[in-house]
Amino acid sequence: MSHRPFDSVPSDDPLFNRILSTLDIAVFERDEPSGGFRLQGLAPEWWCARVGPEASTVLDLEQWSPFLRDYVAADHSVWASESGPVEKSGPWTESDGQGGTMTLEATVLSMESRTVLLIERLGAGFEQMRSIVQRARERMLAEDVTVKSHRKTETRLINQLEVSERTKDDALALLQHLGLAALVLDERGCITFASDRARQLLGASTGEVIGREWGEVIPFHQQDRTIFRETINAPSDSRTAGPFYIDSAQPTWVEVDIHRDPRHPGRQIVVVNDRTELHTLRRALSEQASFHDLVGKSPAMLRVYQLVRDVASVDTTVLIEGETGTGKELIARAIHSTSGRRERPFIAANCAGLTDSILTSQLFGHKRGAFTGAVNDQQGLFEAAEGGTLFLDEIGDVPQPVQTALLRVLQEKEITRLGESRPRKVDVRVLAATHHNLSEDVVRGSFRADLLYRIRIARIRLPTLRERREDIPLLAHSFLMTICAATGKTIDRLSPETLHRLMSYVWPGNVRELRSAIEFAVISCKGTEVSPDDLPPEIVGTPAVPTLAPWIPLQGGDEKSRLLAALSDAKGNRTEAAKRLGVSRATFYRRLVELDIPPR
Amino acid sequence: MIQKKICMLGGFAVGKTSLVRRFVTNVFSDQYHTTIGVTVEKKTVAIKDHEVMLMLWDLYGEDEFQKVRDSYLRGSSAYIVVMDGTRRGTLDTALALQQTAARTLGSVPFVSIINKADLQTEWEIDEGAIEQLRARGWTVLFGSAKLGQGVEELFRNITTQIMHGSPLPTERL
Repeated sequence: MSHRPFDSVPSDDPLFNRILSTLDIAVFERDEPSGGFRLQGLAPEWWCARVGPEASTVLDLEQWSPFLRDYVAADHSVWASESGPVEKSGPWTESDGQGGTMTLEATVLSMESRTVLLIERLGAGFEQMRSIVQRARERMLAEDVTVKSHRKTETRLINQLEVSERTKDDALALLQHLGLAALVLDERGCITFASDRARQLLGASTGEVIGREWGEVIPFHQQDRTIFRETINAPSDSRTAGPFYIDSAQPTWVEVDIHRDPRHPGRQIVVVNDRTELHTLRRALSEQASFHDLVGKSPAMLRVYQLVRDVASVDTTVLIEGETGTGKELIARAIHSTSGRRERPFIAANCAGLTDSILTSQLFGHKRGAFTGAVNDQQGLFEAAEGGTLFLDEIGDVPQPVQTALLRVLQEKEITRLGESRPRKVDVRVLAATHHNLSEDVVRGSFRADLLYRIRIARIRLPTLRERREDIPLLAHSFLMTICAATGKTIDRLSPETLHRLMSYVWPGNVRELRSAIEFAVISCKGTEVSPDDLPPEIVGTPAVPTLAPWIPLQGGDEKSRLLAALSDAKGNRTEAAKRLGVSRATFYRRLVELDIPPR
Repeated sequence: MIQKKICMLGGFAVGKTSLVRRFVTNVFSDQYHTTIGVTVEKKTVAIKDHEVMLMLWDLYGEDEFQKVRDSYLRGSSAYIVVMDGTRRGTLDTALALQQTAARTLGSVPFVSIINKADLQTEWEIDEGAIEQLRARGWTVLFGSAKLGQGVEELFRNITTQIMHGSPLPTERL
C-alpha cells in the first residue's frame, strides 16, 4: 500500500477536508512535545456531536476512550516502518453524545517522523456486515434449537420404545406365566401374535403360525369353523364362543373370548380358554344323568347303564325285561350303539299280535310263491340285520312255531326262508324284550323253556318309574325342553306343585306316560310355567300320596308280608290291593306267582 | 481511583453483553444483538473501603466469523469466561479462549460463569463437565443475566481476586 507524502496535502485543502468529512474520518496528529493528538483539518459531524459545541481540537485519550487509549499505547511496530502493514484498531463502540452509540475504527500511521491517528465512524458497509453476522448467528442458534428439539424427540421416542418394549415383555411374561393362550388377528384374519400356550394348544411353532390366516392354523371342525368365523365377524366389541374341539396331537376343547383391539378396531384379540377338563367333567356328569337316549341318574338306572356297558362288550343274547313304557327299545339301541356292531344295522321288530306265518315271513323272509301274495323273493329281518342287531320286542307274544324257528337260528346261526329248504348263514345279535314274566309263561306252557334259556343268557330288568321317582324331575325337564323345542313354545319350568303331582303319581305307563303327560301340559300351558292345571286329569285327580310312604316297593325281605297285608286290607280284591301298593295289576299278579302266594 | 480492565470472553450469544448490562445498568433484553468489535463499560465498585473503577471490555463472541485478537486482552487485570449452560459447545469455546488469555496475559485471575440458569432444565453442561472444569482450577459460578442471579457475585468475586489475589467462596447450584 502506498501513501501520498503527508505534507503534500495541506490541512486547509478544501478538497482534502471534504473527502475526510464525506468519509466521516477525523484526523489527528501527535504533538510530539506533549504526546497529545491534535485535530487536523475539518472535524466530522460525529466528532462535534461527541465533544460538544465547544469542541476542542485536542484529543484527550484518557477521558475520551479507554479502548483508543489502549490502542494508541500499544507497541505499534508499524510506526517505525512506513512500508509495513497498517494495523487498524478494529471496531469499537462509543457513545455518540446524542443518547445513541456509534462504531468507530482507528488507524495509526507514521509518516516522515509524524504520527497520524485516523478515526473513522463505520457506516452502512459495517452495518451490512453486522447484519449478515447477526443473521448467521441467529440461524446457528435456531439450528441448534432444532437439533436439540430433534434430539429430545429422539430421546423421548427411544424412551417410549424402551417402555413399550418393557411393557410388551412384561405382558408377554404375564401371559406365559398365566398360561393364557392368546392370538392377535389382523384385519385379514391373519395371526400377528400367538402366545406360547396358544401355539401349544394349536400344536404349532411360531414360524408356522405368524402371518397365516387363522383358518389354516386352527384345526377346528367345519361346523366350529363356521361358528368361529361368524363370531369374529360379529360387530360387538367382546364376544364369546365355544366349546370348540381342536383336533390336534392332544385333542382339546376350548372356548374363545374375542375382543376388538381398542387401539386398532380392525384387529382382534382372541383368548383361547382350555376347557378340556371342564368338558370332560361335564360329559361325565351328563353321562351320569343320561345314557344314550335314556335319562336318569337314580341308582337303579346307573346299574342299568353299567349292565348295558357290560353286555355290549360281549356278543350274547340279552333279555330286557320291564313294564310297558320303561324304555326297553332304548336299552336295546344303547346296547347296539355301544357294541362292536354299531356300524351295522339295528332292526327292531314287534312280535306282538302277528300270526305265525306273517311273523315267520317277516323274520326269515320267503321265497316267491311260498304263500298267496308272495310275488317276489323277500329277505327277512334276520338277513336285513346281517352283521348288526335284531331287537325282538314282546318276545313273550311269539307263537310257538316261530319260537322253534328262533331257537334254531340262535343255535345254528342260520335261517331258512319260507318256501325254501336251503338254510342261510346269518350273523345277527338278538336282543329280546318282554313285559311278561316268561318264567310264568314257561310254567303255563306258552313259552319254550329252551328258548328262554337261550335268550336269557344276559338279562336286564328295567325299573318302573315308580322305582326311580327321583328321576322324575330330570325326565320331566328333559321332556319339557324337547317338546318345547319341537313345538316352538317357550315354557321355562314346572311349578313346584306340578312337580309334586308328578312325583306323587303312580305312573302305570311309566316313562312313556310321563312324556305324554308333559306333552299334554305343554299344549295346555298358556304361560312360561307348567301349573298342575295343565296336567292330564288322571294325574291331577289322583290324591297326593303321603310323603313319608308314597309307595310300597315290592322289594326287600318283607315284600311277601306287605302283599299279604294289602290283599287282606282289600278283602282279597287283587285290583284294589295292587292299587293300594301303587303297582299295576299285572305286576301284582307276577309278584304273587314269584313269591308263591296262593290265590284266594 | 484504581482502574482495572476486565475482559469478557466466550462464544457468541452466551450472554456476555447481557451480564455486563445487568451489572452496569441493571437492564436485560431478551432480544439478541450480536456484538461486533468491543464495547467498554465502566462501573465503580467498593471493595473493603477501596473504590475501584472496573473497565469491562465486552469483546465480541468468538466463532468462525470472528476470532478474538490478542491485542484486546493486553493490559487486562483479569477476565471472565462466560458459557451458555444450554449449549455444550460453548464450554469448548471457553476452554480455548481461556488458553489464549492465559498465553497472552499470564497468570491473571479469571472466573467462569455458566449463564442461563433460568433454563437449567435444558442445560447440556452437566455436573461431570463442571467437575472437570473445577479440577482444572477454574472457579465456576452459575448465574442468569435474565433474572439477575449471580451477576453481582460474579463481578465481586473477580474484583476481589484482582484486589486480594484470592477468590471468594463460590456458590454451587
